[in-house]
Amino acid sequence: MSTSAAQIQQVQTIRLSDVCKSYGDYPVLKNIEAEVARGEVVVICGPSGSGKSTLIRTINRLEEINSGSITLDGQNIHAAMRTRELNLLRSRIGFVFQNFNLFPHLSVVENVSMSPIRVKGVAAAVAHDKALKLLDRVGLADKARAYPGQLSGGQQQRVAIARALAMEPPVMLFDEPTSALDPEMVGEVLAVMKSLASEGMTMICVTHEMGFARDVADRIWFIDAGQILETAPPEEFFKTPRHPRAQRFLADLRH
Amino acid sequence: MINDVIAIIQDYWLLLLIGQYPNGPLGGLANTLILSALSIALAFPVSILLALARLSKWRLLRWPVTGLVYVTRGVPLLMLILWSYFLVPLWTGADVPSFVTMLTTLVVYQGAFLSEVVRAGIVALGSGQMDAARALGHSSLGAMRFIILPQALYNMIPSIISTFVSTIKDTTLGYVINVPDLTFAASQVNNQLLTQPFQVFFILAVVYYAICWSLTHVANIVERRITRRRAGLSGDAAPVELVPAKIISEQL
Ligand SMILES: Nc1ncnc2c1ncn2[C@@H]1O[C@H](COP(=O)(O)OP(=O)(O)OP(=O)(O)O)[C@@H](O)[C@H]1O
Ligand SMILES: [Mg+2]
Repeated sequence: MSTSAAQIQQVQTIRLSDVCKSYGDYPVLKNIEAEVARGEVVVICGPSGSGKSTLIRTINRLEEINSGSITLDGQNIHAAMRTRELNLLRSRIGFVFQNFNLFPHLSVVENVSMSPIRVKGVAAAVAHDKALKLLDRVGLADKARAYPGQLSGGQQQRVAIARALAMEPPVMLFDEPTSALDPEMVGEVLAVMKSLASEGMTMICVTHEMGFARDVADRIWFIDAGQILETAPPEEFFKTPRHPRAQRFLADLRH
Repeated sequence: MINDVIAIIQDYWLLLLIGQYPNGPLGGLANTLILSALSIALAFPVSILLALARLSKWRLLRWPVTGLVYVTRGVPLLMLILWSYFLVPLWTGADVPSFVTMLTTLVVYQGAFLSEVVRAGIVALGSGQMDAARALGHSSLGAMRFIILPQALYNMIPSIISTFVSTIKDTTLGYVINVPDLTFAASQVNNQLLTQPFQVFFILAVVYYAICWSLTHVANIVERRITRRRAGLSGDAAPVELVPAKIISEQL
Protein backbone atom coordinates (compact mmCIF):
# COMPACT_ATOMS: atom_id res chain seq x y z
CA MET A 1 0.00 0.00 0.00
CA SER A 2 2.59 2.57 0.98
CA THR A 3 4.29 3.96 -2.05
CA SER A 4 7.65 5.60 -2.26
CA ALA A 5 8.06 9.03 -3.80
CA ALA A 6 9.91 7.60 -6.77
CA GLN A 7 7.06 5.21 -7.51
CA ILE A 8 4.53 8.01 -7.27
CA GLN A 9 6.35 9.81 -10.06
CA GLN A 10 6.20 6.75 -12.24
CA VAL A 11 2.71 5.46 -11.76
CA GLN A 12 0.70 8.52 -10.93
CA THR A 13 -2.84 8.10 -12.18
CA ILE A 14 -4.45 11.36 -11.10
CA ARG A 15 -2.74 14.68 -11.35
CA LEU A 16 -4.20 18.07 -10.49
CA SER A 17 -2.22 21.02 -11.74
CA ASP A 18 -2.94 24.61 -10.86
CA VAL A 19 -6.65 23.92 -10.43
CA CYS A 20 -8.68 27.04 -9.65
CA LYS A 21 -12.39 27.30 -9.16
CA SER A 22 -14.64 30.03 -7.89
CA TYR A 23 -18.35 30.50 -7.37
CA GLY A 24 -18.82 34.00 -8.75
CA ASP A 25 -16.18 36.15 -7.05
CA TYR A 26 -15.66 33.66 -4.26
CA PRO A 27 -12.66 31.40 -4.82
CA VAL A 28 -13.28 27.85 -3.55
CA LEU A 29 -10.16 26.15 -4.90
CA LYS A 30 -6.89 28.05 -5.19
CA ASN A 31 -4.04 26.70 -7.32
CA ILE A 32 -4.41 23.08 -6.27
CA GLU A 33 -1.37 20.93 -7.08
CA ALA A 34 -1.57 17.27 -6.23
CA GLU A 35 -0.92 13.74 -7.43
CA VAL A 36 -2.31 10.35 -6.62
CA ALA A 37 -0.36 7.23 -7.46
CA ARG A 38 -1.94 3.97 -8.59
CA GLY A 39 -3.07 1.99 -5.59
CA GLU A 40 -2.65 4.91 -3.27
CA VAL A 41 -5.25 5.83 -0.66
CA VAL A 42 -5.56 9.55 -0.01
CA VAL A 43 -7.68 11.01 2.76
CA ILE A 44 -8.73 14.62 2.40
CA CYS A 45 -9.50 16.39 5.63
CA GLY A 46 -10.11 19.95 6.64
CA PRO A 47 -12.65 22.21 8.27
CA SER A 48 -16.23 22.57 7.04
CA GLY A 49 -16.57 24.76 3.98
CA SER A 50 -12.89 24.44 3.08
CA GLY A 51 -13.67 23.04 -0.38
CA LYS A 52 -13.29 19.29 0.14
CA SER A 53 -16.49 18.33 -1.66
CA THR A 54 -15.85 20.79 -4.44
CA LEU A 55 -12.35 19.41 -4.94
CA ILE A 56 -13.41 15.78 -5.11
CA ARG A 57 -16.35 16.60 -7.39
CA THR A 58 -14.05 18.31 -9.87
CA ILE A 59 -12.14 15.06 -10.28
CA ASN A 60 -15.03 13.39 -12.10
CA ARG A 61 -16.22 16.72 -13.46
CA LEU A 62 -19.46 16.92 -11.53
CA GLU A 63 -18.10 20.46 -11.00
CA GLU A 64 -16.36 22.46 -13.68
CA ILE A 65 -13.10 24.26 -12.95
CA ASN A 66 -12.05 27.75 -14.04
CA SER A 67 -8.45 26.97 -14.89
CA GLY A 68 -5.78 24.32 -14.56
CA SER A 69 -6.11 20.66 -15.47
CA ILE A 70 -6.97 17.34 -13.90
CA THR A 71 -5.68 14.25 -15.66
CA LEU A 72 -6.52 10.60 -15.24
CA ASP A 73 -3.76 8.43 -16.70
CA GLY A 74 -2.66 11.38 -18.78
CA GLN A 75 -6.08 12.24 -20.15
CA ASN A 76 -7.35 15.69 -19.24
CA ILE A 77 -10.77 15.29 -17.68
CA HIS A 78 -11.59 18.97 -18.10
CA ALA A 79 -10.57 19.25 -21.74
CA ALA A 80 -13.20 20.12 -24.31
CA MET A 81 -14.61 16.79 -25.45
CA ARG A 82 -17.74 15.16 -26.74
CA THR A 83 -20.26 14.33 -24.05
CA ARG A 84 -20.02 10.65 -25.01
CA GLU A 85 -16.34 10.69 -24.29
CA LEU A 86 -16.89 12.51 -21.00
CA ASN A 87 -19.53 9.96 -19.95
CA LEU A 88 -17.11 7.15 -20.71
CA LEU A 89 -14.39 8.85 -18.72
CA ARG A 90 -16.77 9.42 -15.80
CA SER A 91 -17.76 5.78 -15.76
CA ARG A 92 -14.10 4.99 -15.00
CA ILE A 93 -14.20 7.03 -11.80
CA GLY A 94 -16.40 5.58 -9.08
CA PHE A 95 -18.11 8.10 -6.81
CA VAL A 96 -19.77 7.47 -3.46
CA PHE A 97 -21.96 10.22 -2.04
CA GLN A 98 -22.63 11.27 1.51
CA ASN A 99 -26.39 10.68 0.98
CA PHE A 100 -25.98 7.41 -0.96
CA ASN A 101 -28.21 8.64 -3.80
CA LEU A 102 -29.43 5.15 -4.59
CA PHE A 103 -32.20 4.97 -7.17
CA PRO A 104 -35.28 4.38 -4.99
CA HIS A 105 -37.47 3.02 -7.80
CA LEU A 106 -35.07 0.16 -8.53
CA SER A 107 -34.33 -2.90 -6.45
CA VAL A 108 -30.88 -3.27 -4.94
CA VAL A 109 -29.64 -5.62 -7.64
CA GLU A 110 -31.06 -3.35 -10.36
CA ASN A 111 -29.31 -0.38 -8.79
CA VAL A 112 -26.03 -2.23 -9.19
CA SER A 113 -26.58 -3.80 -12.61
CA MET A 114 -28.34 -0.96 -14.40
CA SER A 115 -25.38 1.22 -15.33
CA PRO A 116 -23.23 -1.57 -16.76
CA ILE A 117 -26.23 -2.51 -18.93
CA ARG A 118 -27.21 1.00 -20.02
CA VAL A 119 -23.82 2.69 -20.19
CA LYS A 120 -21.43 -0.11 -21.12
CA GLY A 121 -23.86 -2.35 -23.00
CA VAL A 122 -23.11 -5.40 -20.85
CA ALA A 123 -25.64 -8.21 -21.37
CA ALA A 124 -28.35 -8.14 -18.72
CA ALA A 125 -27.69 -11.65 -17.42
CA VAL A 126 -23.95 -11.02 -17.12
CA ALA A 127 -24.51 -7.71 -15.33
CA HIS A 128 -26.99 -9.36 -13.00
CA ASP A 129 -24.55 -12.11 -11.99
CA LYS A 130 -21.80 -9.60 -11.50
CA ALA A 131 -24.10 -7.46 -9.36
CA LEU A 132 -24.91 -10.44 -7.13
CA LYS A 133 -21.19 -11.12 -6.68
CA LEU A 134 -20.55 -7.50 -5.75
CA LEU A 135 -23.45 -7.50 -3.31
CA ASP A 136 -22.02 -10.63 -1.75
CA ARG A 137 -18.72 -8.87 -1.42
CA VAL A 138 -20.26 -5.98 0.53
CA GLY A 139 -22.22 -8.48 2.63
CA LEU A 140 -25.65 -7.84 1.17
CA ALA A 141 -26.34 -10.87 -1.00
CA ASP A 142 -29.60 -11.50 0.86
CA LYS A 143 -30.87 -7.98 0.10
CA ALA A 144 -30.66 -8.20 -3.69
CA ARG A 145 -34.46 -8.09 -4.14
CA ALA A 146 -35.07 -5.39 -1.52
CA TYR A 147 -35.64 -1.74 -2.34
CA PRO A 148 -33.31 0.97 -1.02
CA GLY A 149 -36.03 2.35 1.26
CA GLN A 150 -36.13 -0.95 3.12
CA LEU A 151 -32.43 -0.81 4.02
CA SER A 152 -30.59 0.88 6.85
CA GLY A 153 -28.23 3.74 6.05
CA GLY A 154 -25.15 1.57 6.34
CA GLN A 155 -26.65 -1.04 4.03
CA GLN A 156 -27.61 1.64 1.51
CA GLN A 157 -24.10 3.01 1.48
CA ARG A 158 -22.66 -0.47 0.91
CA VAL A 159 -25.03 -0.88 -2.03
CA ALA A 160 -23.84 2.48 -3.32
CA ILE A 161 -20.25 1.24 -3.16
CA ALA A 162 -21.22 -1.96 -5.01
CA ARG A 163 -23.02 0.16 -7.61
CA ALA A 164 -19.90 2.22 -8.22
CA LEU A 165 -17.70 -0.90 -8.35
CA ALA A 166 -19.97 -2.46 -10.97
CA MET A 167 -18.50 -0.10 -13.56
CA GLU A 168 -15.05 -1.53 -12.73
CA PRO A 169 -13.47 1.86 -12.15
CA PRO A 170 -9.72 2.02 -11.55
CA VAL A 171 -10.31 4.90 -9.14
CA MET A 172 -12.89 5.43 -6.39
CA LEU A 173 -13.85 8.77 -4.85
CA PHE A 174 -15.69 9.01 -1.53
CA ASP A 175 -17.27 12.21 -0.25
CA GLU A 176 -17.92 11.78 3.48
CA PRO A 177 -19.38 8.30 2.99
CA THR A 178 -20.12 7.81 6.69
CA SER A 179 -21.24 11.29 7.73
CA ALA A 180 -24.95 10.59 7.21
CA LEU A 181 -24.84 7.32 9.16
CA ASP A 182 -25.77 6.47 12.71
CA PRO A 183 -22.58 5.73 14.66
CA GLU A 184 -23.22 1.99 14.88
CA MET A 185 -23.26 1.72 11.07
CA VAL A 186 -20.04 3.59 10.36
CA GLY A 187 -17.92 0.52 10.97
CA GLU A 188 -19.54 -1.72 8.34
CA VAL A 189 -18.97 0.88 5.61
CA LEU A 190 -15.41 1.59 6.66
CA ALA A 191 -14.73 -2.16 6.64
CA VAL A 192 -15.77 -2.36 2.98
CA MET A 193 -13.57 0.61 2.16
CA LYS A 194 -10.68 -0.95 4.02
CA SER A 195 -10.97 -4.17 2.08
CA LEU A 196 -11.04 -2.20 -1.17
CA ALA A 197 -7.88 -0.39 -0.15
CA SER A 198 -6.15 -3.62 0.72
CA GLU A 199 -6.93 -4.95 -2.74
CA GLY A 200 -5.04 -2.07 -4.24
CA MET A 201 -7.84 0.24 -5.31
CA THR A 202 -6.80 3.84 -5.89
CA MET A 203 -8.96 5.86 -3.52
CA ILE A 204 -9.56 9.47 -2.58
CA CYS A 205 -11.72 9.84 0.51
CA VAL A 206 -13.07 12.93 2.16
CA THR A 207 -13.75 11.80 5.71
CA HIS A 208 -13.71 12.89 9.32
CA GLU A 209 -12.96 9.33 10.44
CA MET A 210 -9.45 9.89 11.71
CA GLY A 211 -9.11 6.26 12.78
CA PHE A 212 -9.67 5.19 9.19
CA ALA A 213 -7.21 7.83 7.99
CA ARG A 214 -4.55 6.60 10.41
CA ASP A 215 -5.02 2.92 9.53
CA VAL A 216 -5.68 2.97 5.82
CA ALA A 217 -4.45 6.18 4.24
CA ASP A 218 -1.09 6.43 2.51
CA ARG A 219 -1.26 10.17 2.61
CA ILE A 220 -3.41 12.90 4.13
CA TRP A 221 -4.20 16.09 2.29
CA PHE A 222 -5.10 18.86 4.68
CA ILE A 223 -7.17 21.50 2.97
CA ASP A 224 -8.29 24.85 4.29
CA ALA A 225 -9.87 27.82 2.53
CA GLY A 226 -9.45 26.18 -0.85
CA GLN A 227 -5.77 25.37 -0.54
CA ILE A 228 -3.92 22.15 0.18
CA LEU A 229 -1.80 23.32 3.10
CA GLU A 230 -0.13 20.04 3.94
CA THR A 231 0.27 16.57 2.50
CA ALA A 232 1.90 13.96 4.69
CA PRO A 233 1.72 10.29 5.63
CA PRO A 234 -0.75 9.81 8.48
CA GLU A 235 1.83 9.05 11.21
CA GLU A 236 3.58 12.27 10.44
CA PHE A 237 0.40 14.30 9.99
CA PHE A 238 -1.15 13.23 13.27
CA LYS A 239 2.04 13.37 15.33
CA THR A 240 3.79 16.41 13.97
CA PRO A 241 1.54 18.54 11.79
CA ARG A 242 3.59 21.34 10.30
CA HIS A 243 1.06 23.93 9.32
CA PRO A 244 -0.42 25.95 12.21
CA ARG A 245 -3.93 25.57 10.83
CA ALA A 246 -3.50 21.79 10.62
CA GLN A 247 -2.33 21.85 14.23
CA ARG A 248 -5.42 23.82 15.26
CA PHE A 249 -7.68 21.51 13.22
CA LEU A 250 -6.28 18.42 14.94
CA ALA A 251 -6.47 20.08 18.36
CA ASP A 252 -10.16 20.89 17.73
CA LEU A 253 -10.81 17.29 16.67
CA ARG A 254 -9.44 15.93 19.94
CA HIS A 255 -11.89 17.99 22.00
CA MET B 1 -89.95 16.06 -12.16
CA ILE B 2 -88.31 12.69 -11.59
CA ASN B 3 -90.81 11.21 -14.03
CA ASP B 4 -89.82 13.82 -16.62
CA VAL B 5 -86.16 12.95 -16.17
CA ILE B 6 -86.83 9.23 -16.56
CA ALA B 7 -88.96 9.87 -19.62
CA ILE B 8 -86.23 11.98 -21.22
CA ILE B 9 -83.63 9.32 -20.52
CA GLN B 10 -85.89 6.62 -21.97
CA ASP B 11 -86.51 8.62 -25.15
CA TYR B 12 -83.08 10.06 -25.73
CA TRP B 13 -80.50 7.79 -24.07
CA LEU B 14 -79.03 6.70 -27.36
CA LEU B 15 -78.62 10.27 -28.59
CA LEU B 16 -76.99 11.25 -25.30
CA LEU B 17 -74.76 8.21 -25.45
CA ILE B 18 -73.48 8.22 -29.04
CA GLY B 19 -75.07 11.25 -30.74
CA GLN B 20 -76.43 10.74 -34.22
CA TYR B 21 -74.14 7.83 -35.01
CA PRO B 22 -74.39 5.82 -37.31
CA ASN B 23 -76.52 8.29 -39.29
CA GLY B 24 -74.28 11.21 -38.40
CA PRO B 25 -70.95 11.78 -36.67
CA LEU B 26 -70.25 10.02 -33.41
CA GLY B 27 -71.32 12.28 -30.56
CA GLY B 28 -72.71 12.26 -27.06
CA LEU B 29 -70.96 10.80 -24.04
CA ALA B 30 -68.89 8.45 -26.23
CA ASN B 31 -67.39 11.37 -28.06
CA THR B 32 -66.77 13.29 -24.84
CA LEU B 33 -64.84 10.34 -23.44
CA ILE B 34 -62.91 9.74 -26.67
CA LEU B 35 -62.01 13.41 -26.91
CA SER B 36 -60.86 13.52 -23.28
CA ALA B 37 -58.91 10.28 -23.50
CA LEU B 38 -57.21 11.28 -26.74
CA SER B 39 -56.27 14.72 -25.45
CA ILE B 40 -54.79 13.37 -22.23
CA ALA B 41 -52.97 10.61 -24.13
CA LEU B 42 -51.38 13.19 -26.43
CA ALA B 43 -50.96 15.92 -23.79
CA PHE B 44 -48.91 13.55 -21.64
CA PRO B 45 -45.93 13.10 -24.01
CA VAL B 46 -46.22 16.75 -25.03
CA SER B 47 -45.97 17.78 -21.39
CA ILE B 48 -42.80 15.73 -20.92
CA LEU B 49 -41.18 17.38 -23.94
CA LEU B 50 -42.26 20.83 -22.75
CA ALA B 51 -40.92 20.15 -19.25
CA LEU B 52 -37.56 18.91 -20.58
CA ALA B 53 -37.34 21.97 -22.82
CA ARG B 54 -38.06 24.23 -19.87
CA LEU B 55 -35.30 22.54 -17.85
CA SER B 56 -32.88 22.59 -20.77
CA LYS B 57 -29.64 24.51 -20.53
CA TRP B 58 -30.14 25.90 -24.05
CA ARG B 59 -31.87 29.27 -23.89
CA LEU B 60 -33.03 28.96 -27.48
CA LEU B 61 -35.15 26.03 -26.38
CA ARG B 62 -35.99 27.17 -22.87
CA TRP B 63 -37.22 30.69 -23.53
CA PRO B 64 -39.79 30.12 -26.29
CA VAL B 65 -41.25 27.10 -24.51
CA THR B 66 -41.43 28.98 -21.22
CA GLY B 67 -43.24 31.77 -23.07
CA LEU B 68 -45.65 29.31 -24.64
CA VAL B 69 -46.42 27.68 -21.31
CA TYR B 70 -46.98 31.03 -19.60
CA VAL B 71 -49.27 32.36 -22.33
CA THR B 72 -51.25 29.12 -22.51
CA ARG B 73 -51.72 29.04 -18.77
CA GLY B 74 -52.60 32.71 -18.56
CA VAL B 75 -55.31 32.76 -21.22
CA PRO B 76 -58.85 31.37 -20.80
CA LEU B 77 -59.35 28.09 -22.59
CA LEU B 78 -62.32 29.49 -24.50
CA MET B 79 -60.02 32.12 -25.99
CA LEU B 80 -57.61 29.44 -27.22
CA ILE B 81 -60.49 27.46 -28.71
CA LEU B 82 -61.79 30.46 -30.62
CA TRP B 83 -58.29 31.30 -31.83
CA SER B 84 -57.69 27.85 -33.24
CA TYR B 85 -61.19 27.76 -34.65
CA PHE B 86 -60.82 30.99 -36.62
CA LEU B 87 -57.08 31.25 -37.19
CA VAL B 88 -55.98 27.73 -38.07
CA PRO B 89 -58.24 27.43 -41.16
CA LEU B 90 -57.03 30.92 -42.17
CA TRP B 91 -53.39 29.87 -41.96
CA THR B 92 -53.70 26.42 -43.40
CA GLY B 93 -56.57 27.09 -45.78
CA ALA B 94 -57.88 23.67 -44.89
CA ASP B 95 -61.29 22.89 -43.48
CA VAL B 96 -60.43 21.42 -40.12
CA PRO B 97 -63.17 19.40 -38.37
CA SER B 98 -64.23 20.97 -35.08
CA PHE B 99 -63.29 17.77 -33.26
CA VAL B 100 -59.67 18.13 -34.42
CA THR B 101 -59.61 21.83 -33.54
CA MET B 102 -60.85 21.03 -30.05
CA LEU B 103 -58.44 18.13 -29.64
CA THR B 104 -55.42 20.18 -30.66
CA THR B 105 -56.37 23.03 -28.37
CA LEU B 106 -56.90 20.71 -25.43
CA VAL B 107 -53.57 18.99 -26.06
CA VAL B 108 -51.70 22.30 -26.04
CA TYR B 109 -53.62 23.59 -23.04
CA GLN B 110 -53.40 20.48 -20.88
CA GLY B 111 -49.85 19.83 -22.09
CA ALA B 112 -48.83 23.24 -20.77
CA PHE B 113 -50.45 22.59 -17.40
CA LEU B 114 -49.12 19.06 -17.08
CA SER B 115 -45.64 20.22 -18.06
CA GLU B 116 -45.56 22.26 -14.87
CA VAL B 117 -46.41 19.13 -12.93
CA VAL B 118 -43.66 17.15 -14.66
CA ARG B 119 -41.18 19.95 -14.08
CA ALA B 120 -42.09 20.18 -10.40
CA GLY B 121 -41.78 16.40 -10.14
CA ILE B 122 -38.29 16.46 -11.64
CA VAL B 123 -37.12 19.39 -9.54
CA ALA B 124 -38.52 17.77 -6.38
CA LEU B 125 -36.18 14.79 -6.88
CA GLY B 126 -33.24 17.07 -6.09
CA SER B 127 -29.83 17.08 -7.71
CA GLY B 128 -28.54 13.94 -5.99
CA GLN B 129 -30.18 11.52 -8.41
CA MET B 130 -28.80 13.33 -11.46
CA ASP B 131 -25.35 13.54 -9.84
CA ALA B 132 -25.37 9.81 -9.16
CA ALA B 133 -26.47 9.03 -12.70
CA ARG B 134 -23.82 11.27 -14.24
CA ALA B 135 -21.11 9.90 -11.96
CA LEU B 136 -21.93 6.43 -13.28
CA GLY B 137 -21.50 7.64 -16.85
CA HIS B 138 -25.11 8.05 -17.97
CA SER B 139 -25.83 10.69 -20.59
CA SER B 140 -28.34 13.35 -19.56
CA LEU B 141 -30.98 11.79 -21.80
CA GLY B 142 -30.26 8.31 -20.46
CA ALA B 143 -30.43 9.59 -16.90
CA MET B 144 -33.76 11.25 -17.65
CA ARG B 145 -35.17 8.14 -19.25
CA PHE B 146 -34.07 5.49 -16.79
CA ILE B 147 -33.66 7.35 -13.51
CA ILE B 148 -35.36 10.73 -13.31
CA LEU B 149 -38.58 10.37 -15.33
CA PRO B 150 -39.66 6.96 -13.96
CA GLN B 151 -39.61 8.46 -10.47
CA ALA B 152 -41.12 11.82 -11.39
CA LEU B 153 -43.89 10.30 -13.51
CA TYR B 154 -44.76 7.71 -10.90
CA ASN B 155 -45.24 10.50 -8.39
CA MET B 156 -47.38 12.27 -10.97
CA ILE B 157 -50.02 9.60 -11.54
CA PRO B 158 -52.64 11.29 -9.29
CA SER B 159 -52.06 14.61 -11.05
CA ILE B 160 -52.53 12.96 -14.40
CA ILE B 161 -55.87 11.55 -13.30
CA SER B 162 -56.89 14.98 -11.98
CA THR B 163 -55.95 16.54 -15.29
CA PHE B 164 -58.06 13.91 -17.00
CA VAL B 165 -61.01 15.02 -14.87
CA SER B 166 -60.56 18.67 -15.77
CA THR B 167 -60.16 17.71 -19.42
CA ILE B 168 -63.56 16.03 -19.30
CA LYS B 169 -65.03 19.23 -17.88
CA ASP B 170 -63.16 21.32 -20.45
CA THR B 171 -64.58 19.38 -23.38
CA THR B 172 -67.95 21.03 -22.67
CA LEU B 173 -66.49 24.23 -24.13
CA GLY B 174 -66.36 22.44 -27.47
CA TYR B 175 -70.04 23.34 -27.62
CA VAL B 176 -69.18 26.83 -28.90
CA ILE B 177 -67.53 25.39 -32.00
CA ASN B 178 -70.13 22.65 -32.45
CA VAL B 179 -68.12 19.66 -31.32
CA PRO B 180 -70.79 16.93 -31.08
CA ASP B 181 -70.18 15.87 -27.50
CA LEU B 182 -72.46 15.13 -24.56
CA THR B 183 -73.25 18.80 -23.92
CA PHE B 184 -74.08 19.26 -27.59
CA ALA B 185 -76.39 16.24 -27.53
CA ALA B 186 -78.13 17.53 -24.40
CA SER B 187 -78.78 20.89 -25.99
CA GLN B 188 -80.19 19.12 -29.05
CA VAL B 189 -82.57 17.29 -26.76
CA ASN B 190 -83.44 20.57 -25.09
CA ASN B 191 -84.17 22.16 -28.45
CA GLN B 192 -86.57 19.38 -29.33
CA LEU B 193 -88.41 19.41 -26.01
CA LEU B 194 -88.29 23.19 -25.53
CA THR B 195 -90.17 23.13 -22.22
CA GLN B 196 -87.91 21.10 -19.97
CA PRO B 197 -84.47 22.77 -19.86
CA PHE B 198 -84.05 22.19 -16.14
CA GLN B 199 -84.62 18.46 -16.43
CA VAL B 200 -82.33 18.09 -19.45
CA PHE B 201 -79.45 19.98 -17.95
CA PHE B 202 -80.01 18.23 -14.63
CA ILE B 203 -79.30 14.92 -16.40
CA LEU B 204 -76.23 16.49 -18.00
CA ALA B 205 -74.90 17.69 -14.66
CA VAL B 206 -75.48 14.32 -13.00
CA VAL B 207 -73.59 12.46 -15.72
CA TYR B 208 -70.60 14.80 -15.60
CA TYR B 209 -70.60 14.71 -11.82
CA ALA B 210 -70.73 10.93 -11.66
CA ILE B 211 -67.79 10.53 -14.04
CA CYS B 212 -65.64 13.25 -12.56
CA TRP B 213 -66.37 12.33 -8.97
CA SER B 214 -65.46 8.68 -9.48
CA LEU B 215 -62.22 9.61 -11.25
CA THR B 216 -61.32 12.06 -8.48
CA HIS B 217 -62.01 9.30 -6.01
CA VAL B 218 -59.64 7.00 -7.90
CA ALA B 219 -57.01 9.75 -7.93
CA ASN B 220 -57.27 10.11 -4.16
CA ILE B 221 -56.90 6.38 -3.59
CA VAL B 222 -53.89 6.20 -5.88
CA GLU B 223 -52.36 9.24 -4.22
CA ARG B 224 -52.74 7.71 -0.77
CA ARG B 225 -51.25 4.45 -1.97
CA ILE B 226 -48.25 6.17 -3.55
CA THR B 227 -47.65 8.27 -0.45
CA ARG B 228 -47.68 5.13 1.65
CA ARG B 229 -45.34 3.30 -0.73
CA ARG B 230 -42.98 6.27 -0.79
CA ALA B 231 -42.97 6.42 2.98
CA GLY B 232 -41.94 2.79 3.07
CA LEU B 233 -39.35 3.26 0.35
CA SER B 234 -37.65 6.50 1.22
CA GLY B 235 -35.77 5.28 4.30
CA ASP B 236 -33.06 7.67 5.45
CA ALA B 237 -33.05 9.85 2.39
CA ALA B 238 -35.27 12.92 2.46
CA PRO B 239 -38.79 11.88 1.43
CA VAL B 240 -39.56 12.80 -2.14
CA GLU B 241 -42.31 15.37 -2.14
CA LEU B 242 -45.39 14.25 -3.96
CA VAL B 243 -46.77 16.70 -6.47
CA PRO B 244 -50.10 17.58 -4.88
CA ALA B 245 -52.81 16.55 -7.30
CA LYS B 246 -55.52 18.54 -5.62
CA ILE B 247 -53.82 21.89 -5.88
CA ILE B 248 -53.08 21.30 -9.55
CA SER B 249 -56.65 20.38 -10.35
CA GLU B 250 -57.92 23.43 -8.52
CA GLN B 251 -55.73 25.65 -10.67
CA LEU B 252 -57.22 24.30 -13.84
N1 LIG C 1 -23.12 25.84 -5.63
C1 LIG C 1 -22.44 26.70 -4.85
N2 LIG C 1 -22.57 28.04 -5.02
C2 LIG C 1 -21.89 28.91 -4.26
N3 LIG C 1 -21.04 28.55 -3.29
C3 LIG C 1 -20.86 27.24 -3.05
C4 LIG C 1 -21.56 26.25 -3.82
N4 LIG C 1 -21.18 25.02 -3.37
C5 LIG C 1 -20.31 25.25 -2.37
N5 LIG C 1 -20.11 26.57 -2.17
C6 LIG C 1 -19.21 27.19 -1.19
O1 LIG C 1 -17.91 26.71 -1.46
C7 LIG C 1 -17.23 26.45 -0.25
C8 LIG C 1 -16.70 25.04 -0.25
O2 LIG C 1 -17.80 24.14 -0.23
P1 LIG C 1 -17.60 22.58 -0.09
O3 LIG C 1 -18.95 21.96 -0.12
O4 LIG C 1 -16.62 22.13 -1.09
O5 LIG C 1 -16.98 22.47 1.36
P2 LIG C 1 -16.64 21.17 2.21
O6 LIG C 1 -15.23 21.28 2.60
O7 LIG C 1 -17.08 19.95 1.48
O8 LIG C 1 -17.55 21.39 3.49
P3 LIG C 1 -18.30 20.30 4.39
O9 LIG C 1 -17.30 19.70 5.32
O10 LIG C 1 -19.31 21.13 5.11
O11 LIG C 1 -18.92 19.30 3.46
C9 LIG C 1 -18.19 26.74 0.88
O12 LIG C 1 -17.87 28.00 1.42
C10 LIG C 1 -19.53 26.77 0.22
O13 LIG C 1 -20.33 27.71 0.86
MG1 LIG D 1 -18.59 18.46 1.78
